[in-house]
Amino acid sequence: MKKSTSTSLENKTGRSKVLLATLAALVAAILILTAFILPAEFNRDPLGIGEALGIKGLSEQPSVETVAIEETKYHQDTVSFQLLPFEFVEYKYPLAQGSAVIYSWTATDTVSFDFHGEPENGPEGFAESFSLGQGEHEHGTFTAPFNGIHGWFWENRGASTVTVTLTTAGFYTESLKFRDGFVGTRSFE
Amino acid sequence: MLVPALAVAHNISGANARFVEGLEGSAVVPFMYLGAKHMVTGYDHLLYLLGVVFFLRRLREVLLYVTLFTLGHSITLMAGVLLELNVNAYLVDTIIGLSVAYKAFENINGFKQVLGWQLNARAAVFIFGLCHGLGLATKVQGLSLSADSLVTNMLSFNVGVEIGQALALGLIVLVLTQWRQRISFEKHAFIANTLLMGAGFVLAGYQFAGYLWQ
Repeated sequence: MKKSTSTSLENKTGRSKVLLATLAALVAAILILTAFILPAEFNRDPLGIGEALGIKGLSEQPSVETVAIEETKYHQDTVSFQLLPFEFVEYKYPLAQGSAVIYSWTATDTVSFDFHGEPENGPEGFAESFSLGQGEHEHGTFTAPFNGIHGWFWENRGASTVTVTLTTAGFYTESLKFRDGFVGTRSFE
Repeated sequence: MLVPALAVAHNISGANARFVEGLEGSAVVPFMYLGAKHMVTGYDHLLYLLGVVFFLRRLREVLLYVTLFTLGHSITLMAGVLLELNVNAYLVDTIIGLSVAYKAFENINGFKQVLGWQLNARAAVFIFGLCHGLGLATKVQGLSLSADSLVTNMLSFNVGVEIGQALALGLIVLVLTQWRQRISFEKHAFIANTLLMGAGFVLAGYQFAGYLWQ
C-alpha cells in the first residue's frame, strides 16, 4: 500500500505548539478532575472547590447493608391522631443512618402525607421526601439514609374529621410530635 | 454485588448483571445485546475510535485500522475470560483512557515533534486493541457466568461488541467525512485533538481515582 494521505497533522504543527497543547490538555484534565470529578464521585476535595460548589459527595451512596446490627432491642409504637378539617400533624423519630423502621399507617379517610427526613446538620428547613402523596394508608420498611429526624406529615384536606393511626417497630429511642406549634416528645427507654 | 461503582467503571449495570446471572445455559441474544450496548454507550471506546479514524480519509484504511483494533480486543477478550485472567478493571480502564490521549497526541504529530520518533500507528492500534479487550474481559468476568456455556456467551458478547462498534463507527465516519470537506477542518482538527487528549486524561484520572478509592 502506498503512503497514503496524512494520518496526522504532519508538518503542520510546531514542537512548541504541540507541547503547549499537551500542557493545556493536562492542566484542564487535572482541573476538571480535582474541582469536579473527585469531589462529586469520590467525595475527595483536595482544592475545596467541590465544597464551595456544593457537589461534594454527590454520588455518595447511603450504605444500605443486608444486616444492620444494633446494640439495643427495637421498640414498638402505636399512635393515633384525630385531624379536624385542615388540621395537620407531624410525627417523627430521630434515627441514625442505616437504622431501620417498619411502619404501617391507616387513615379513616384520604389524607395528604409526606414521609420525609431532615438531616442532622442540614440547612434550616431542609427536608428530603421519601414518599409523598394522598391516600388512606401506607405500609413499608424504611432505612434511614442519613442521621436525622425521619417521619410523617399528615394533613386532612377534607371536610370531615379523619383519624390517622401509625404503627411502627424500629430502632428509635424517642419520638417527636409536632402539633399546633408544640413539640411533644416521648421516650421509649 | 459483583459490579462495583456503577457510574465509574462503565460496567454492565446492576439490573443487566442480575438478569444474565439468572440465566442458565447459553444466552446468545442477551449477551450480544450487552456487548453492543457496552460499545455504543462506552465513551472510552468511542473516543478512542474517533481518534483512530480522525485522519483516515479512505474506507480501506478505516477498515484496516478497525480490523487491527478488533483483532486486538477479540484476542484479549477471549484470552482474559478463558484463562480467567484477573486484571483490575480500573487499571485497565485507566490505560484505555490513556490510549485516547495517546492517539490524540499522535494525531497532532506529537511523537514526531517531541520525541522525533513514533510507534507505527498500525502497531499502536493493535496494541491498544489488546488493552481494550482486557477491559471487555473484565466486564464479562463481572458477570458470574455459568461455566457450561461460557464460550457461547463470551462469543455472543464479542459479536455484540463488533455490531455496536460498526454502528458507532458508521456515525463517526459519516460526521468526519462531512467535517473534512470544510476548509477550516485542519485548523479545527488541532483543537479537536487537543480536546480529545484532555478527555483521555480525564478518563484516565477518573478511572485511576476509582482504582485508589472505590
